[in-house]
Amino acid sequence: MTIRGLALRYGLRLGVLATALGLWQGLSAVGVIRADEFPSMTQTASALWDQARTATLWTAIGQTLEGWAIGLAIGAAAALVVGTLIALNAFAYHSVIGVIEFFKAIPVIAILPIGLVLWGATLTMKFALVAFAVFWPLAIQVCYGVRSVDPVVRDTASVLRLRGPRKFALVIMPSAAPFIATGLRVAVAVALIVDIIAELIGGGSGVGVRILIAENAGPSAYPVMYAYIVVAGVLGVLLAGAFTVAERYVLHWHESQRSAAGDKQIYPERTEVTLAASLSPGRWPGAHPGVAVRRPARRVVGVVGWLEVAVFPAA
Amino acid sequence: MWWVWSAGSRSLYFPPLESIVKALWTQWVTGPARAELASSLEHLVAGYAIASALGIGIGMALWSLRYAREATSPYLYFLYVLPAPVLVPAAMTLFGIGFSMKVVLIAFAAVWPTLLNTLDGMRGVDAVKLDTSKVLGLPRWRNALQVVLPAAGPQIVAGLRNSLQVAIILMVVSEWEASTDGIGYYIVSAQQSFDYVGMWSGIIVLAIIGIVANLLFVVAEDRVLHWHYGARAVEGGAR
Repeated sequence: MTIRGLALRYGLRLGVLATALGLWQGLSAVGVIRADEFPSMTQTASALWDQARTATLWTAIGQTLEGWAIGLAIGAAAALVVGTLIALNAFAYHSVIGVIEFFKAIPVIAILPIGLVLWGATLTMKFALVAFAVFWPLAIQVCYGVRSVDPVVRDTASVLRLRGPRKFALVIMPSAAPFIATGLRVAVAVALIVDIIAELIGGGSGVGVRILIAENAGPSAYPVMYAYIVVAGVLGVLLAGAFTVAERYVLHWHESQRSAAGDKQIYPERTEVTLAASLSPGRWPGAHPGVAVRRPARRVVGVVGWLEVAVFPAA
Repeated sequence: MWWVWSAGSRSLYFPPLESIVKALWTQWVTGPARAELASSLEHLVAGYAIASALGIGIGMALWSLRYAREATSPYLYFLYVLPAPVLVPAAMTLFGIGFSMKVVLIAFAAVWPTLLNTLDGMRGVDAVKLDTSKVLGLPRWRNALQVVLPAAGPQIVAGLRNSLQVAIILMVVSEWEASTDGIGYYIVSAQQSFDYVGMWSGIIVLAIIGIVANLLFVVAEDRVLHWHYGARAVEGGAR
């Protein structure tokens, strides 16, 4: 793709956004969408602005992230330990994996009422549910990862008499890492959904409960409701994006991250020119021999590159 | 284990399993809650069917229309990562609390995993296959239906599975928040009237739905993707 193609792509994207927002505003103005059911775009935007100026929005986001982060940390840590222990022992693996699959198939939402009854609308309820939801799928992923160690690598390790913690850190973890990363990527999204459900239904404080309050307050508060819905979406994009960027940093050595770059070297004509690459050569995602840039500009290019990876992964 | 441990339980929150099982029988199998189960499954099936059809259809359409794909992809992604339950209050104000609201909501939320996976799978097709079909001079539609779509099959199935999980969650959330029927409604009304046995029986029914849906999916996947696993096994054996 050429730089012109790139301009076309971003032009089209902006065009779609402008058209969608314009259509929204236009239909509201003409009266096709009734104002008491669906607020206009400008109303929603101004409600978002109002919320952003006060502390309400930021506390709500903070509370949501709090439940998300604590729950994810607990669930992930437990899954990592339990998954590894199970996978290292064939007997344990075969007897437990069925149970884990069973729990994984239970919709998280079924557990919500128990959490509500036990802890009420508290932070504990939120992170307990998140941890529960994250644990099962991730534990399975960890099991698969640990068991997927290449036989040659495993034999080499045993020839070299690598045992215990060293074997774990040098042999098992590196080969399980991509599996764990995949599991974590799913977990990041699931944790946010569960967290927001716990707020929306369970009444734990955060973005979810703000949406509910605005809905109950009647049509005059609908713009606020839609503002928070947008916030929830942006939160989802940012968390997923942050994870993708982190994964690139941590797993840059692994084939799953390298193969894309390798293919491009073989087929230069298939190279995707990204926004960042068109601005600069170098080590940023999608980097491509292009025009050299001065140092201050490189920062900007780097940020643009990460944004492309993080926010627009599906091009 | 649960049975023995909870048999003598006096705790309000954790009733004995025996009484839960009894409630399961009297309420869900022979009793009034059967209607709730039926209406929940109706919402789920209708919403999920629409989502699957739209997801694969739109995914294919976007695959063949490059400019539409590039223009809309960030927004599709945004809708995909948007935690769908936040849409429940909005859907209530737009569609009321009836059947259509739930089906629309389930379909809207569940369409994205299938759509994006279809698109991704079709885009990721082996270049050799595409070149072969070009050499064979297959027309565009045959290329799409007979080469690209089957090759994307495993990923589409993965997307469908994700969609199913989303659909179940949305089914319960929408019934919970805004409904007069369904399993979610049953659980919430049991909980609010301190009928913890009833609540637990509802939870177990939900768990069973999740597990059965998963099983059905595995069976169907085995049927549909039989050739894929066969091919992979041969490849693995040859190495």
